[in-house]
Amino acid sequence: MTVRNIASICNMGTNASALEKDIGPEQFPINEHYFGLVNFGNTCYCNSVLQALYFCRPFRENVLAYKAQQKKKENLLTCLADLFHSIATQKKKVGVIPPKKFISRLRKENDLFDNYMQQDAHEFLNYLLNTVADILQEERKQERQNGRLKNGTVAVETEENKAEPTWVHDIFQGTLTNETRCLNCETVSSKDEDFLDLSVDVEQNTSITHCLRDFSNTETLCSEYKYYCETCCSKQEAQKRMRVKRLPMILALHLKRFKYMEQLHRYTKLSYRVVFPLELRLFNTSGDAVNLDRMYDLVAVVVHCGSGPNRGHYITIVKSHGFWLLFDDDIVEKIDAQAIEEFYGLTSDISKNSESGYILFYQSRD
Amino acid sequence: MLISKMAAEGGGKEMNEIKTQFTTREGVYKLLTHSEYSRPNRVPFNSQGSNPVKVSFVNVNDQSGNGDRICFNVGRELYFYIYKGVRKAADLSKPIDKRIYKGTQPTCHDFNHLTATAESVSLLVGFSAGQVQLIDPIKKETSKLFNEERLIDKSRVTCVKWVPGSETLFLVAHSSGSMYLYNVEHTCGTTAPHYQLLKQGDSYAVHTCKSKSTRNPLLKWTVGEGALNEFAFSPDGKFLACVSQDGFLRVFNFDSVELHGTMKSYFGGLLCVCWSPDGKYIVAGGEDDLVTVWSFLDCRVIARGHGHKSWVSVVAFDHYTTSVEESDPLEFSGSDEDFQDQIHFGRERANSTQSRLSKRNSTDSRPVSVTYRFGSVGQDTQLCLWDLTEDILFPHLPLSRTRTHTNVMNATNNPPAGGSGSGGIGSVIGNNPGTNGSNSGASTPGNSLPTPLPRSNSLPHSAAAAASNSKGGTVDGAIAAGVSKFATLSLHDRKERHHDKDHKRNHSMGHISSKSSDKLNLLAKTKTDPAKTLGTTLCPRMEDIPLLEPLICKKIAHERLTVLIFLEDCIVTACQEGFICTWARPGKVGLLSSQNQANSPSGTVV
Repeated sequence: MTVRNIASICNMGTNASALEKDIGPEQFPINEHYFGLVNFGNTCYCNSVLQALYFCRPFRENVLAYKAQQKKKENLLTCLADLFHSIATQKKKVGVIPPKKFISRLRKENDLFDNYMQQDAHEFLNYLLNTVADILQEERKQERQNGRLKNGTVAVETEENKAEPTWVHDIFQGTLTNETRCLNCETVSSKDEDFLDLSVDVEQNTSITHCLRDFSNTETLCSEYKYYCETCCSKQEAQKRMRVKRLPMILALHLKRFKYMEQLHRYTKLSYRVVFPLELRLFNTSGDAVNLDRMYDLVAVVVHCGSGPNRGHYITIVKSHGFWLLFDDDIVEKIDAQAIEEFYGLTSDISKNSESGYILFYQSRD
Repeated sequence: MLISKMAAEGGGKEMNEIKTQFTTREGVYKLLTHSEYSRPNRVPFNSQGSNPVKVSFVNVNDQSGNGDRICFNVGRELYFYIYKGVRKAADLSKPIDKRIYKGTQPTCHDFNHLTATAESVSLLVGFSAGQVQLIDPIKKETSKLFNEERLIDKSRVTCVKWVPGSETLFLVAHSSGSMYLYNVEHTCGTTAPHYQLLKQGDSYAVHTCKSKSTRNPLLKWTVGEGALNEFAFSPDGKFLACVSQDGFLRVFNFDSVELHGTMKSYFGGLLCVCWSPDGKYIVAGGEDDLVTVWSFLDCRVIARGHGHKSWVSVVAFDHYTTSVEESDPLEFSGSDEDFQDQIHFGRERANSTQSRLSKRNSTDSRPVSVTYRFGSVGQDTQLCLWDLTEDILFPHLPLSRTRTHTNVMNATNNPPAGGSGSGGIGSVIGNNPGTNGSNSGASTPGNSLPTPLPRSNSLPHSAAAAASNSKGGTVDGAIAAGVSKFATLSLHDRKERHHDKDHKRNHSMGHISSKSSDKLNLLAKTKTDPAKTLGTTLCPRMEDIPLLEPLICKKIAHERLTVLIFLEDCIVTACQEGFICTWARPGKVGLLSSQNQANSPSGTVV
């Protein structure tokens, strides 16, 4: 990888201008920048997710707005804001940026990422979104406390803090409703659960639509998995299903392609062919869902290349101003929409090595 | 989560078994392993990233009874064999013609059925780089090459078809979203064509080619956004249905190049389209994993079907099960017993549709029992068969609404008896006067191809309807009444029923003349933002129209399925690996084993 990196950095100039030429001077969107990110040794898991998030417009706009606020003490979000800001304010339209500050901050803040190993892009996405949300909530709490000190009223603090959603929640958070029906007394109990992304099991030769339907399929809890029914006051067989009750603005779908193999004592990759359309609606919504038939458009896909979670490579394809781009660390290419087909996965079960969609980002049309 | 995973795996194994036979109410369909066509070496083709395998048939009328020829493409190869169907095992060692292409791959092909003889056939082949070839695989000639310099279109050819009834005209669709009308007798010129606008409408435009001497293309159609995935001519050749990557079905009057109607997928691109044998319905399949049934006369979606686990790649009507050819009443009475069985079967299965075979009788003028059969195959490697029954086709009472609310928590499916049973009542009441009336003989020209098909009123059918009627009669009636009362509250429903009336009235008029006022209304409606089509006639909400369940849904291959063709005594399927499979219809298996007398029947079916 390093050799290739060196080679590509040498080619940087030609590559970048090739992209500009490929898009065409008239077609090149105003105020848009396509910048590759330098790999600091297996940091493609990070680069790929950052690129995907950068092209989730609501997320980018909020991060840039955060940057515009007054200077704060350095944290992961300020580093992210600096990075996004530096991409968005480049003079050139295309090029390469080293996300150095962000990476070193990430390594400082979390031991998990403080090494040169390949990490799981989904784990990183989760960590990043939660950390950003925590930072925002913490800041808000600080502000409130400062305000309160002036007013001298310190009251019902805990409740408010928990409930207050941040813009991360506004963008990514949806709600699942988990319904359980006791097969003895027929009582249905339901519990709501918030999510920032959905992790779905994958099957060979299916669509993401089917995987989502499966995600919400009714399952029966029986034998050792019986459910404790409060009405019956005993363990009973029950039926359980999980449906989407509130649809997020950006639906992040994580395909569970890494499966632990008991015999091998390690994870293996499921390279199944799972097709994902450019437009999506959900079928697995609960009847009382808000906006249950909203239309989603595919905006970004984090693709895993290789045979296992701790090896291989991550790249990202994004849709920007009507065309598709492929971000492979520092390399950016314009691709045909038809080329997305190459990232569905493999129909043959023999090969584990594939370039297949791993995290899909769908943005709501309204 | 752990539980669900285990459950999925348990179920998954079972489902991963590849089926070699399946049963519908008409009997058992069996895979004839000896009738498998493929590349001569029978090695699965590594299909990653290549064009779909497609199959074309032609009958060369050579009087020997062995007139069927098959053509298929695998990777960059194209094969032409004698097709022996259910009669004899395939002999793969001797293809009549075989071609291997360099630099460009065959993507689709079509025979001209008018000109086919034992000595010569006209086969059009479309290619991945945009060219179209006219070849004669019997004479082993390459007659002509169109778009050779790729001046007309550089993108992949997605669909090529002869214009029905023409020996010279053909239509070619490309992934660029354009299609072109060619004449085999004209050249393509040495320069890029200049176009002149002929007609423009909502999201389509038709141009003629401006040049001193007549040249190809004669016409250029630009349709929607993104690739034009497939088109299909109506049975009478007058209309053209196109499906595109933008998720729209657009139906054009081919001669007047006017838009007749449109439909939008629930989401994602539409990949395939077909017409019912009588031209009254269009079925499209696509990236929403659904099949969508659209009424040509009413220009609206009448049902969707969910059975596939991935994108639907081919849809096709089964002409032979949709309409049993005209036969005298004696034959009907002979199959009386079968009908009893069928009714019984239909009850036991949890399918939403009540099963009834439709038969045609030229002396009747009103449909009493109408069933269309269609099939679909998809990227999920599954074959689905669907029945389109009269309770869906003629919703006198908006019962479908009740049926679509599938309560997942409920272990059983919603009672099909409620829906289909009372649908039966509705139709009996609605149609009896007509059936008792005189034959309007003029309206059913039995011999012409695009006949209004479902004119069945044989005695067994009435009996069938009556039987189902009596079984769940009272309860159904109550439900029906309740629902209809409820439905009158909504304006939308009233409108729908009005449409339905129109539809009925037009029955005897032939479908071309009947579109007049409806069409105008609908065209006005289509001028909406494509993003906001949900809830309109273009794309009704899921709960507003009936949801069909497949009659059967079977995994029949390792690879994505790319072909589904219904022939008289078999069904032909093919997958991306390049295996073309023949499924004998019920009672047609014996033919092969009796001819290969040495072989035991076990040789035919596994």
